[in-house]
Amino acid sequence: MTPFDLVEPPSLGEALKLLEPDDSAVRPLAGGTALMLLMKSGFFRPKRLVSLRAAGERLARIRIEPNGELRIGAMVRLAALEWAPEVRRDFPVIGHTLRTLANVRVRNVATLGGHLAHADPHSDLPPVLIALGACLVLAGPRGERAVPVEGFATGHYETVCKGDELIVEATIPPLGRRRAAYAKCTTRSADDWPALGIAVAWDDDGAIRSPRIVLGAATERPTRLKAAEALIAGRTLDGALLTRAGEAAAEEADVVADARGSVSYKKQLVKVYVARALRAAGAGPAAP
Amino acid sequence: MSATRRIRFTLNGQAAAAEIGTHETLVEVLRDRFALFGARESCSQGLCGCCTVLVDGHAVSGCLFLAAAADGVKIQTIEGLASGERLDPVQEAFLECGAFQCGFCTPGFILMTRQLLDENPAPSEDEIRHYLSGNLCRCGAYPEIIEAVKLASHKVKSRTPGGAAP
Amino acid sequence: MSATAKAGQIGRSLPRLEGRAKVTGRAEYIHNLRLPGMVHGKIFRSAVAHGRIRRVDTAAAKALSGVFAVVTSDDIRKVISNPYYGPAFHDQPILAIDKVRHVGEPVAVVLAEDPHVAEEAMRLIIAEYDELPAVTDEVEAMTSTVIVHDALKPAGIFPDLKHLEGRKGTNVALDFHLRRGDVKQAFAEATHVFEHTFRTQPVMHTPLEPMVSAAEPGDGTLTIHTASQSPSFVRMEVARLLGWPENRVRVKTAFLGGGFGAKLYIKLEALVAALALLARRPVKISLAMDEQFFTITKHPSTFRIKSAVDKDGRVTARECEVWWNGGAYADVGPRVTQKSGFTAAGPYDIDNVAIDSYALYTNRPPAGALRGFGIPQLVWAYESHTDMIARALGIDPVEFRRRNILRDGRPQATGTVMKDAAIDKVLDRLVQRLGWSRPFDRGQGSVKRGRGLAVGFKASIAPTTSVAILNLYADGSCGLYCSTVDMGQGSDTAMAQIAAEVLDIPAETVRVVHPDTDVTPYDMATLGSRSTYHMGHAVKRAAEDARVKIDALKADLGVPPGSNVPLAELFRRKYGMQAGNIVGVGSFVPSYASPDHDTGLTPNATPFWMVGGTGAEVEVDTETGHVRVARLINVADLGTPINPRIVETQLSGGAIMQLGFTMQERMEFADGQLLNPNLADYKIPGMRDLPARIESEAVDAVERGGPFGAKGVGETATFGVSPAIANAIDAAVGVRLTELPLTPEAVYRALRKAGR
Repeated sequence: MTPFDLVEPPSLGEALKLLEPDDSAVRPLAGGTALMLLMKSGFFRPKRLVSLRAAGERLARIRIEPNGELRIGAMVRLAALEWAPEVRRDFPVIGHTLRTLANVRVRNVATLGGHLAHADPHSDLPPVLIALGACLVLAGPRGERAVPVEGFATGHYETVCKGDELIVEATIPPLGRRRAAYAKCTTRSADDWPALGIAVAWDDDGAIRSPRIVLGAATERPTRLKAAEALIAGRTLDGALLTRAGEAAAEEADVVADARGSVSYKKQLVKVYVARALRAAGAGPAAP
Repeated sequence: MSATRRIRFTLNGQAAAAEIGTHETLVEVLRDRFALFGARESCSQGLCGCCTVLVDGHAVSGCLFLAAAADGVKIQTIEGLASGERLDPVQEAFLECGAFQCGFCTPGFILMTRQLLDENPAPSEDEIRHYLSGNLCRCGAYPEIIEAVKLASHKVKSRTPGGAAP
Repeated sequence: MSATAKAGQIGRSLPRLEGRAKVTGRAEYIHNLRLPGMVHGKIFRSAVAHGRIRRVDTAAAKALSGVFAVVTSDDIRKVISNPYYGPAFHDQPILAIDKVRHVGEPVAVVLAEDPHVAEEAMRLIIAEYDELPAVTDEVEAMTSTVIVHDALKPAGIFPDLKHLEGRKGTNVALDFHLRRGDVKQAFAEATHVFEHTFRTQPVMHTPLEPMVSAAEPGDGTLTIHTASQSPSFVRMEVARLLGWPENRVRVKTAFLGGGFGAKLYIKLEALVAALALLARRPVKISLAMDEQFFTITKHPSTFRIKSAVDKDGRVTARECEVWWNGGAYADVGPRVTQKSGFTAAGPYDIDNVAIDSYALYTNRPPAGALRGFGIPQLVWAYESHTDMIARALGIDPVEFRRRNILRDGRPQATGTVMKDAAIDKVLDRLVQRLGWSRPFDRGQGSVKRGRGLAVGFKASIAPTTSVAILNLYADGSCGLYCSTVDMGQGSDTAMAQIAAEVLDIPAETVRVVHPDTDVTPYDMATLGSRSTYHMGHAVKRAAEDARVKIDALKADLGVPPGSNVPLAELFRRKYGMQAGNIVGVGSFVPSYASPDHDTGLTPNATPFWMVGGTGAEVEVDTETGHVRVARLINVADLGTPINPRIVETQLSGGAIMQLGFTMQERMEFADGQLLNPNLADYKIPGMRDLPARIESEAVDAVERGGPFGAKGVGETATFGVSPAIANAIDAAVGVRLTELPLTPEAVYRALRKAGR
């Protein structure tokens, strides 16, 4: 690595001013775990890094709003999210997902905002957040805007977040009667990046309402499997439905081959893991 | 440009300061400025755990942690774990269980175990395997390491006032 | 030769002598070394698999502020006129000359005081190549028109390579042939004939302390500090390259952060030696993890095995053809080809055997020794083949093995009569531990369970020499000087126990002096599980020599032989003050007879045999192909363990490493490039990849030729892992995999192909 300018603005506003959207060598720095890999390998050679470490309390907190909505600051470390009592209580699927995300040391340093902004398609949380209907608050020179996590990533390492914007926080609607689960499949070792991850969620009133089935890692970006969602909507889970949902998901999923599996194998995994994720969500305790 | 800067931090209980480059990592600074070699860079990607150090009590990969971010924090390395000649119970347990071969990954496993037991004094085998899955031992001393973590858990409990006897 | 242990130091599970240093982070590794005035070297590597070097432009790198020098092969030749090295062939240039032969081959080096600057400058070097067609497959290399080396250059140390001198137009670096009995006739008379082909993938050792060497020029001398398994060889080879006597080259090692065969012979040492002489200051090169993958690998292999079986289920003949993918430089591949080649027919009593084993040059990174010297590749094939035959004949795999097993007193394929090789005992213990005769839970739903086993054996590498010096100081304390390298296997502790047993002192009071060729005597290398046996003997003899000298001192002083006058007191009486030494010296080289060039036969192939077997219980997810190893049992004949606890760790550790090679590790090449030279994409086993249960056992055995009945163990548990798991998968779901690794997708595809 080569020397660079490192600044630590004391507020979000100051941070936004220090960004230079036209200069790709100026970037915000959150936990830095992903950025450091790019810097060490020579892919990214920063001129200036804008550390968000001190950019305000709002980026650093986790809280449940009176309406039950969960707000997570962009600079909240993944480990803090994993262990936060309110998250464990009200959103158990998040803690469960984080348990196998990278490793303890990464989770101790990496932040939610960095995890999402990096937009590595193999990330575990985006499919879960999409299934839960989460949104992001982005701040920029023209003020703030909210965007759903669904659609935030537009491709490999690309998002709708502009060069002069920063993620401020994520909001997750209260779980209510929603059931949720995340099923992760690795093919080269237990702690490998996932070959695929399936997040599912639905409102449970005895039948399946507003289901979401989201595929991560095997596709260019996290993708909802809408044919499978439509298939299960309004029904109750049984073995035959699980099989059909898996088949529909495999059919529609636009999976990409890589060292973790060929297209046809990953489609088989989609089929199996969609059924397993649905079964896990259905078997878990209904949300309070 | 501020490509170099002075950082102040607590290193193994002592006040410390260093003139560093912004591009330098914590493991490099510990090695080159403080002659501490217990945290060592191996995979360079935060996957093997050989460069583990505790920052404010949280384990981090020293090879992916900018030294500049260590300004104002408390750092503990393997060298600071024993009090004088008296080993930490985790070190004792690793020694007694023969939980290493070449020893290169050992400081990382010991510091991770230290943090694990601070958070969860009586981890199950499944919890141990999950917690330590981000540390690699190419010699494959894993069975002995699991045994050592369990022994360390007993030792910690028996030393804590009011803790259960081993 | 074996003496019975009486002093209680043998068979003692003494914690490692260096344990405290390792748990406090203070153990010494070359990784930590800093030398005054040192510069760091960063290697610029080839981006093509095979090509003529048109141009290497170092101008921009040289111009970068902070760069001390940029070095290419032209510079190297100023200090070493013929800069080619290697243990078997002098075929590897210190930096590429005219051609590059594999991706990642070192082409130039940047020197700078700041390693960040060296790395930055390295990225500014530009090389242009005229790309040549490359050969990458070992079987294709036999007949390919792509020739990796214009002419073969055997090192001359090994008589059996002499006939290859100057040979042109071939990629065959060694062909080993063995002919025993009448194979043709036996096949003609066979009731059944089975033929299968098995393959193994390229994998890497990945020691967590990446390779590291430093050289320090002196006044007509050179000191090399290196994480090496073979300091004595490094001294000889660097002295040869420089044209210096050995006494001007000093080689020092420390603890190694893993070796597994990666740190053998010359890796970075010749390069840092040349750089230090050019720079006239100390030079250190520390490889990054990714660079290790371009430096040394394990031989991928293809093995065609064919067996003749009679009506009683006895194997009457076996034909083996093995092709070893040695990569661009021979390293120790020719020894793998021969030494492993002659056990290719397996631990079975077969009268008629034909073995052809070929070391091939290809345009891949070089391959060398990796924990088993080729044996795991062979056992993978012959123990899979064995189960396939048993299955086809409807004979229980254990029963089939028992009908054919090689017992002590019977000749092995080379004609060498087996002794102290407890093959049958290892098989028996596996069968008992697995509860083979008891009913077995076959699983339910989409998860099916199966179990399998495999047994392999290995000859030690011979003939090789070890020398040890034991120094008793004036206060009676003891220093042991030997060039065996402790890379985690616990040799310091084991050697201290052997010396202590002879001297009747506690082993923890023995100080083991680490390899330093100015101080510690010659040892061939720390490889092939040879140290306990060879260095163990040398240490034992050195200690016995010291005892003889203590007795002589007593006689000299008129002290009765049985008296317990402390040694320090004897010295005081002799010299009138605390002064003097007693130096015991021991050396060992076993007897050995080289195999006949045409028949491969020899009456004495090895000083001892290693025997290892594995039992596995697996659960196969038939929907995804995921295989979970529920139980892995390692049973070994390692003679009498010197330190049972360390031996157990060696067994489970070896098995876990081989589990990685079996289930998950594979270097992925595409378009001549290596896609995964890093631990993010080359997945070695972590804690969650372990079997739920791992059991290890040393059978009750004695190696009568070994020191206190002991023999080597470092590689033994690797032998049977791969085929035991493949056999268990077959037992669970009825599909057979013939290529490693056994990935979920490979299992799934086999299931679909079989209609399951």
